[in-house]
Amino acid sequence: MAGMLTLSDLHATVGEGAEAKSIIRGLSLEVPAGEVHAIMGPNGAGKSTLSYILTGKDGYEVTGGSATFNGEDILAFDPETRAGKGLFLSFQYPVEIPGVPVMTFVRTAMNAQRKARGEEEISAPDFIKKSREIGKQLNLTAEMLKRPINVGFSGGEKKRLEIFQMMMMEPKFLILDETDSGLDIDALKTVSDGVNALRAPTRGMLVITHYQRLLDHISPDKVHVLAEGRIIKTGGPELALRLEKEGYDGVIGEAV
Amino acid sequence: MTALRDLIKDPSAAELELIARYGGFAEDSRRERSFKAFAMSGLPHRRMEAFKWTDFKAKLKALDGGKSGRVDPFAAVAGHVITVTPEAITGLDKLPEGLRMVTRDDGVAFGASEDVPMGALTAALTEQTIMFDVTATPGQAIRLVYQGAGAALFSRFVFVVRPDVELRVFESHLGGASLNASLVRFDVKARAQVERTLIQPSALGEAHAITAEVQLDEAGRYTQTALAFGGDVARIETRLVHQETGALAVVNGAYLAADGHHIDFTSHIRHGARACQTQQRTKGAVMKGGTGVFQGKFHVPRNVGQLTDADMQHNALLLEEGAVVNAKPELEIYADDVECAHGNTCGALDAEALFYMRQRGISEAQAKAMLTEAFIAEALEAAPDAARDILLQTAQDWLGV
Repeated sequence: MAGMLTLSDLHATVGEGAEAKSIIRGLSLEVPAGEVHAIMGPNGAGKSTLSYILTGKDGYEVTGGSATFNGEDILAFDPETRAGKGLFLSFQYPVEIPGVPVMTFVRTAMNAQRKARGEEEISAPDFIKKSREIGKQLNLTAEMLKRPINVGFSGGEKKRLEIFQMMMMEPKFLILDETDSGLDIDALKTVSDGVNALRAPTRGMLVITHYQRLLDHISPDKVHVLAEGRIIKTGGPELALRLEKEGYDGVIGEAV
Repeated sequence: MTALRDLIKDPSAAELELIARYGGFAEDSRRERSFKAFAMSGLPHRRMEAFKWTDFKAKLKALDGGKSGRVDPFAAVAGHVITVTPEAITGLDKLPEGLRMVTRDDGVAFGASEDVPMGALTAALTEQTIMFDVTATPGQAIRLVYQGAGAALFSRFVFVVRPDVELRVFESHLGGASLNASLVRFDVKARAQVERTLIQPSALGEAHAITAEVQLDEAGRYTQTALAFGGDVARIETRLVHQETGALAVVNGAYLAADGHHIDFTSHIRHGARACQTQQRTKGAVMKGGTGVFQGKFHVPRNVGQLTDADMQHNALLLEEGAVVNAKPELEIYADDVECAHGNTCGALDAEALFYMRQRGISEAQAKAMLTEAFIAEALEAAPDAARDILLQTAQDWLGV
């Protein structure tokens, strides 16, 4: 089955000129629609870099290989176009944006995506209804959704707000970058429930994580180990458990 | 005329015309004092400390006309409209109750003449000063609409706001003349309140000198909100004195400067009485080829200025490479029991925030506009409800939100 997201022999650097540092070195990966793939790896393996390359952040340069999303060269598009095509990144560190209320932001973003896809804007009543329902599921109060994005939010609240946006926008493909970091057990459950609710035959997910615990809640179809910029091992959920037990060193040592 | 010509050394075409205008007035010692104060420097220029970033002389060489016919953003704001044109001032009849008008055809002294050359020029060349005695809170706001044409527009209003009276003024500085110069004074008596909200749309090819003098008596309150887009050269200058104890001043402003625009916010606030408060917030965003200037000064004398509580914040965004912002925040404090703070920042839009917004599907241009609007909005928050949305909308139109 062809991947919804297909990366082949991807190479990328961060930084410019002589400062450029090679982070991704020959990464190949296929995530078919309907599957959840986990990417695990030690610090500095290139996990966050991968999420930024896929979403088009400035400062990262792809120097070789390809990345296609539903058959299209995703690297050719600017970040907003990629978002319009259905690529969503849940940030490891969601950004605070003073002065831009959550609801204004989410509605503007949803309508921008819809416009890019040639769809009609979401009506105000539909938007409010949907945001209330999803807010309730995630324990986000109406008051919180009126506040500026992430300003004054706790770590857990920021992550819940990422999931809120994800559920509102219903993207085709989710990239979760260390979504479990900063979450207590209850929040982890809430966030995981939100992600699981989005599992669908038409939707792919890439769950980037350092620890196995998130995968207790979001059970992956495949687990990939990322080290030194490439996938060095792929397996089923049991691989995550083995990593947890033996540590990255053991598994990576064996692969190399 | 020869003697008059000599008032300004090596006068430019613009200055010669200003001298000629002055020569047209009957002899008057107050006018003379103001004009001579102006003539000391002529049009102020970059070799003067207070004008080192705002050079009227260089930007206003001749008075060859501006661009008239700008739409008034405050047109939908309810209020009694007084329109100022070079030919006439209309709307002075049927004034709202509570306002009593006195007109003065002779010169009216302008105390700050030596420090504010553009104010001195305006005082000297305004034909008729309109003075309002505001004895009761008027049933409606006053809207001053400045519509210039031709060489220059000079005007001067004085509002004496009696104790416990509330006055709301909206000013639309629509330009239209080469030089658009206005002077307004608010004498805010005990417990009286004045809200002044002004807008100055983009005025390429023109110079604007918008000067206000404010005096606050005991527990008087003054709230100023300005949104300005600049022109070839434009300065919004506010000189405020806390004259009696317990007064409060909120002096806010936002500037948005596009290519070729220069906009200057200058203020001088004197805490001349105990336990007075000043909150000043100025925000700006400048594009390539635009210039923003902020000069703010708090003066707190040794004895009378005790228990002053004052905060001055200026924050500017350089939206593109080639944008210029000059800032000089000054605190001159001689009293020892005061709380005075100031902050001054100048930087680019947050790249992380921009990426975050784009990742959600918002275009780069719109993300920039939204971030800029959010940035300046704080400086417009204190404006009256009727005007705040208009100010924000005008800013949004400029930003292309």
